[in-house]
Amino acid sequence: MKSDFRMQYPLWMMGFIVVLGMFLFGVSSPTTTIVNSEREQSFLLELGPIGGLFAIGAVILYFLMMIVFYTQLKRHNKKNPSEKISIFPIRPPEYLEQDEGMTHITRKASQKVYTFMSWSLPLLAVFAMFSPFTRIYTVFAILVIALIQYGIYYREIRKHLKEEDE
Amino acid sequence: MLKNRVKELRARYGFTQSDLGKQVNVTRQTIAFIEKGEFSPSITLSLKLAKALQTNVNDLFWLEEDEEHEK
Repeated sequence: MKSDFRMQYPLWMMGFIVVLGMFLFGVSSPTTTIVNSEREQSFLLELGPIGGLFAIGAVILYFLMMIVFYTQLKRHNKKNPSEKISIFPIRPPEYLEQDEGMTHITRKASQKVYTFMSWSLPLLAVFAMFSPFTRIYTVFAILVIALIQYGIYYREIRKHLKEEDE
Repeated sequence: MLKNRVKELRARYGFTQSDLGKQVNVTRQTIAFIEKGEFSPSITLSLKLAKALQTNVNDLFWLEEDEEHEK
Protein backbone atom coordinates (compact mmCIF):
# COMPACT_ATOMS: atom_id res chain seq x y z
CA MET A 1 0.00 0.00 0.00
CA LYS A 2 2.87 2.37 0.79
CA SER A 3 4.04 1.97 -2.80
CA ASP A 4 0.60 2.95 -4.10
CA PHE A 5 1.10 6.18 -6.02
CA ARG A 6 -2.16 7.59 -4.63
CA MET A 7 -0.66 7.35 -1.15
CA GLN A 8 2.51 9.08 -2.25
CA TYR A 9 0.59 11.79 -4.08
CA PRO A 10 0.35 14.17 -1.05
CA LEU A 11 4.13 13.87 -0.60
CA TRP A 12 4.66 14.88 -4.22
CA MET A 13 2.36 17.85 -3.76
CA MET A 14 4.29 18.85 -0.63
CA GLY A 15 7.52 18.61 -2.63
CA PHE A 16 6.12 20.84 -5.38
CA ILE A 17 4.94 23.37 -2.79
CA VAL A 18 8.43 23.50 -1.25
CA VAL A 19 9.94 24.08 -4.71
CA LEU A 20 7.40 26.83 -5.36
CA GLY A 21 8.36 28.39 -2.02
CA MET A 22 12.03 28.28 -3.03
CA PHE A 23 11.20 29.95 -6.32
CA LEU A 24 9.14 32.57 -4.52
CA PHE A 25 12.01 33.27 -2.14
CA GLY A 26 14.35 33.62 -5.12
CA VAL A 27 12.21 36.09 -7.00
CA SER A 28 10.90 37.97 -3.96
CA SER A 29 13.96 40.04 -3.32
CA PRO A 30 15.13 41.38 -6.66
CA THR A 31 16.26 44.93 -7.17
CA THR A 32 13.68 46.63 -9.31
CA THR A 33 14.24 49.84 -11.19
CA ILE A 34 11.33 51.40 -12.97
CA VAL A 35 11.79 54.46 -15.13
CA ASN A 36 8.62 56.05 -16.37
CA SER A 37 9.27 59.47 -17.80
CA GLU A 38 8.14 61.34 -20.88
CA ARG A 39 11.27 60.30 -22.74
CA GLU A 40 11.90 56.85 -21.36
CA GLN A 41 10.05 53.85 -20.08
CA SER A 42 12.06 50.94 -18.72
CA PHE A 43 11.83 48.14 -16.20
CA LEU A 44 15.00 46.55 -14.79
CA LEU A 45 14.93 43.49 -12.58
CA GLU A 46 18.16 42.31 -10.96
CA LEU A 47 18.41 39.09 -9.02
CA GLY A 48 21.11 38.81 -6.35
CA PRO A 49 23.39 35.72 -6.26
CA ILE A 50 21.40 33.95 -3.53
CA GLY A 51 18.02 34.92 -4.96
CA GLY A 52 19.16 33.87 -8.42
CA LEU A 53 20.43 30.55 -7.12
CA PHE A 54 17.09 29.81 -5.44
CA ALA A 55 15.03 30.90 -8.43
CA ILE A 56 17.06 29.02 -11.07
CA GLY A 57 17.62 26.05 -8.74
CA ALA A 58 13.89 25.83 -8.10
CA VAL A 59 13.09 25.86 -11.83
CA ILE A 60 15.62 23.09 -12.52
CA LEU A 61 14.40 21.08 -9.53
CA TYR A 62 10.79 21.57 -10.63
CA PHE A 63 11.44 20.15 -14.10
CA LEU A 64 13.42 17.21 -12.68
CA MET A 65 10.60 16.46 -10.23
CA MET A 66 8.02 16.73 -13.01
CA ILE A 67 9.89 14.11 -15.06
CA VAL A 68 10.03 11.65 -12.12
CA PHE A 69 6.43 12.48 -11.15
CA TYR A 70 5.04 11.75 -14.62
CA THR A 71 7.13 8.57 -14.90
CA GLN A 72 5.62 7.34 -11.61
CA LEU A 73 2.15 8.41 -12.71
CA LYS A 74 2.48 6.50 -16.00
CA ARG A 75 3.74 3.43 -14.14
CA HIS A 76 0.77 3.58 -11.77
CA ASN A 77 -1.70 3.91 -14.65
CA LYS A 78 -0.10 0.98 -16.46
CA LYS A 79 -0.29 -1.19 -13.33
CA ASN A 80 -3.81 -0.07 -12.41
CA PRO A 81 -5.79 0.37 -15.63
CA SER A 82 -9.07 0.44 -13.68
CA GLU A 83 -7.83 3.15 -11.29
CA LYS A 84 -6.04 5.54 -13.61
CA ILE A 85 -4.98 8.94 -12.35
CA SER A 86 -5.46 11.84 -14.70
CA ILE A 87 -2.51 14.18 -15.32
CA PHE A 88 -4.73 17.12 -14.40
CA PRO A 89 -7.19 15.65 -11.91
CA ILE A 90 -10.17 17.66 -10.71
CA ARG A 91 -10.93 15.24 -7.91
CA PRO A 92 -7.91 14.73 -5.59
CA PRO A 93 -6.33 11.41 -6.61
CA GLU A 94 -5.15 10.76 -3.04
CA TYR A 95 -8.69 9.73 -2.07
CA LEU A 96 -8.62 5.99 -1.41
CA GLU A 97 -12.06 4.58 -2.08
CA GLN A 98 -11.66 0.97 -3.17
CA ASP A 99 -14.11 -0.20 -0.52
CA GLU A 100 -16.00 1.01 2.54
CA GLY A 101 -13.01 0.62 4.89
CA MET A 102 -10.75 2.75 2.71
CA THR A 103 -13.55 5.29 2.20
CA HIS A 104 -13.86 5.47 5.98
CA ILE A 105 -10.20 6.40 6.54
CA THR A 106 -10.25 8.82 3.60
CA ARG A 107 -13.25 10.52 5.21
CA LYS A 108 -11.47 10.71 8.58
CA ALA A 109 -8.38 12.25 6.97
CA SER A 110 -10.49 14.68 4.92
CA GLN A 111 -12.38 15.74 8.07
CA LYS A 112 -9.09 16.55 9.81
CA VAL A 113 -7.99 18.63 6.84
CA TYR A 114 -11.37 20.40 6.74
CA THR A 115 -11.09 21.20 10.46
CA PHE A 116 -7.65 22.67 9.89
CA MET A 117 -8.81 24.69 6.89
CA SER A 118 -11.88 26.01 8.71
CA TRP A 119 -9.74 27.96 11.16
CA SER A 120 -6.55 28.51 9.18
CA LEU A 121 -8.23 30.26 6.23
CA PRO A 122 -10.00 32.93 8.36
CA LEU A 123 -6.71 33.49 10.21
CA LEU A 124 -4.93 33.85 6.90
CA ALA A 125 -7.53 36.36 5.74
CA VAL A 126 -6.98 38.44 8.89
CA PHE A 127 -3.21 38.16 8.42
CA ALA A 128 -3.51 39.29 4.80
CA MET A 129 -5.74 42.26 5.77
CA PHE A 130 -3.69 43.62 8.62
CA SER A 131 -0.20 42.33 7.95
CA PRO A 132 2.42 45.06 7.76
CA PHE A 133 4.51 42.74 5.61
CA THR A 134 4.60 42.72 1.85
CA ARG A 135 2.26 40.62 -0.29
CA ILE A 136 4.93 37.95 -0.65
CA TYR A 137 4.49 36.91 3.00
CA THR A 138 0.80 36.28 2.39
CA VAL A 139 1.73 34.03 -0.52
CA PHE A 140 4.23 32.23 1.72
CA ALA A 141 1.49 31.78 4.34
CA ILE A 142 -0.81 30.25 1.69
CA LEU A 143 1.95 27.81 0.73
CA VAL A 144 2.51 26.88 4.38
CA ILE A 145 -1.22 26.17 4.81
CA ALA A 146 -1.24 24.02 1.67
CA LEU A 147 1.83 22.17 2.93
CA ILE A 148 0.27 21.50 6.35
CA GLN A 149 -2.99 20.41 4.69
CA TYR A 150 -1.23 17.68 2.69
CA GLY A 151 0.84 16.79 5.78
CA ILE A 152 -2.29 16.24 7.90
CA TYR A 153 -3.92 14.14 5.19
CA TYR A 154 -0.83 11.98 4.60
CA ARG A 155 -0.18 11.45 8.32
CA GLU A 156 -3.74 10.34 8.97
CA ILE A 157 -3.85 7.90 6.03
CA ARG A 158 -0.43 6.50 6.84
CA LYS A 159 -1.37 5.96 10.49
CA HIS A 160 -4.04 3.50 9.37
CA LEU A 161 -2.21 1.81 6.54
CA LYS A 162 0.59 -0.19 8.01
CA GLU A 163 1.85 -3.05 5.92
CA GLU A 164 1.86 -5.93 8.40
CA ASP A 165 -0.18 -8.88 7.12
CA GLU A 166 -1.49 -11.44 9.58
CA MET B 1 -17.91 0.15 20.62
CA LEU B 2 -18.40 -2.72 18.18
CA LYS B 3 -16.45 -5.83 19.13
CA ASN B 4 -15.90 -8.80 16.86
CA ARG B 5 -14.45 -12.28 16.46
CA VAL B 6 -13.23 -11.81 12.89
CA LYS B 7 -9.56 -12.35 13.78
CA GLU B 8 -10.30 -15.42 15.88
CA LEU B 9 -12.47 -17.10 13.25
CA ARG B 10 -10.17 -16.11 10.42
CA ALA B 11 -7.29 -17.81 12.23
CA ARG B 12 -9.46 -20.89 12.86
CA TYR B 13 -10.04 -21.31 9.12
CA GLY B 14 -6.43 -20.47 8.30
CA PHE B 15 -7.22 -17.41 6.22
CA THR B 16 -4.89 -14.44 5.92
CA GLN B 17 -6.43 -10.98 5.92
CA SER B 18 -5.89 -10.89 2.16
CA ASP B 19 -7.67 -14.25 1.68
CA LEU B 20 -10.68 -13.08 3.64
CA GLY B 21 -10.61 -9.70 1.89
CA LYS B 22 -10.75 -11.43 -1.50
CA GLN B 23 -13.67 -13.59 -0.41
CA VAL B 24 -15.76 -10.61 0.65
CA ASN B 25 -14.40 -8.28 -2.04
CA VAL B 26 -12.60 -5.71 0.13
CA THR B 27 -8.94 -4.81 0.65
CA ARG B 28 -6.73 -6.46 3.26
CA GLN B 29 -6.56 -3.12 5.04
CA THR B 30 -10.32 -3.05 5.55
CA ILE B 31 -10.19 -6.47 7.21
CA ALA B 32 -7.41 -5.14 9.46
CA PHE B 33 -9.50 -2.04 10.37
CA ILE B 34 -12.48 -4.24 11.28
CA GLU B 35 -10.36 -6.58 13.40
CA LYS B 36 -8.84 -3.65 15.29
CA GLY B 37 -12.29 -2.14 15.82
CA GLU B 38 -11.29 1.00 13.93
CA PHE B 39 -14.17 0.61 11.53
CA SER B 40 -17.71 -0.73 11.82
CA PRO B 41 -18.66 -2.53 8.61
CA SER B 42 -21.96 -2.06 6.81
CA ILE B 43 -24.72 -4.63 7.17
CA THR B 44 -23.90 -5.99 3.71
CA LEU B 45 -20.23 -6.48 4.54
CA SER B 46 -21.08 -7.94 7.96
CA LEU B 47 -23.32 -10.52 6.29
CA LYS B 48 -20.63 -11.36 3.74
CA LEU B 49 -18.04 -11.77 6.51
CA ALA B 50 -20.37 -13.95 8.55
CA LYS B 51 -20.97 -16.15 5.50
CA ALA B 52 -17.24 -16.41 4.71
CA LEU B 53 -16.47 -17.32 8.32
CA GLN B 54 -19.40 -19.77 8.50
CA THR B 55 -21.18 -18.08 11.35
CA ASN B 56 -23.96 -15.54 11.81
CA VAL B 57 -23.68 -11.79 12.31
CA ASN B 58 -24.76 -11.96 15.97
CA ASP B 59 -21.91 -14.31 16.79
CA LEU B 60 -19.42 -12.31 14.79
CA PHE B 61 -20.23 -8.80 16.03
CA TRP B 62 -21.59 -7.44 19.29
CA LEU B 63 -21.64 -4.17 21.19
CA GLU B 64 -19.24 -3.81 24.10
CA GLU B 65 -22.05 -2.53 26.32
CA ASP B 66 -24.08 -5.72 25.62
CA GLU B 67 -21.13 -7.73 26.87
CA GLU B 68 -21.13 -5.70 30.09
CA HIS B 69 -24.90 -6.24 30.53
CA GLU B 70 -24.48 -9.98 30.18
CA LYS B 71 -21.84 -10.13 32.96
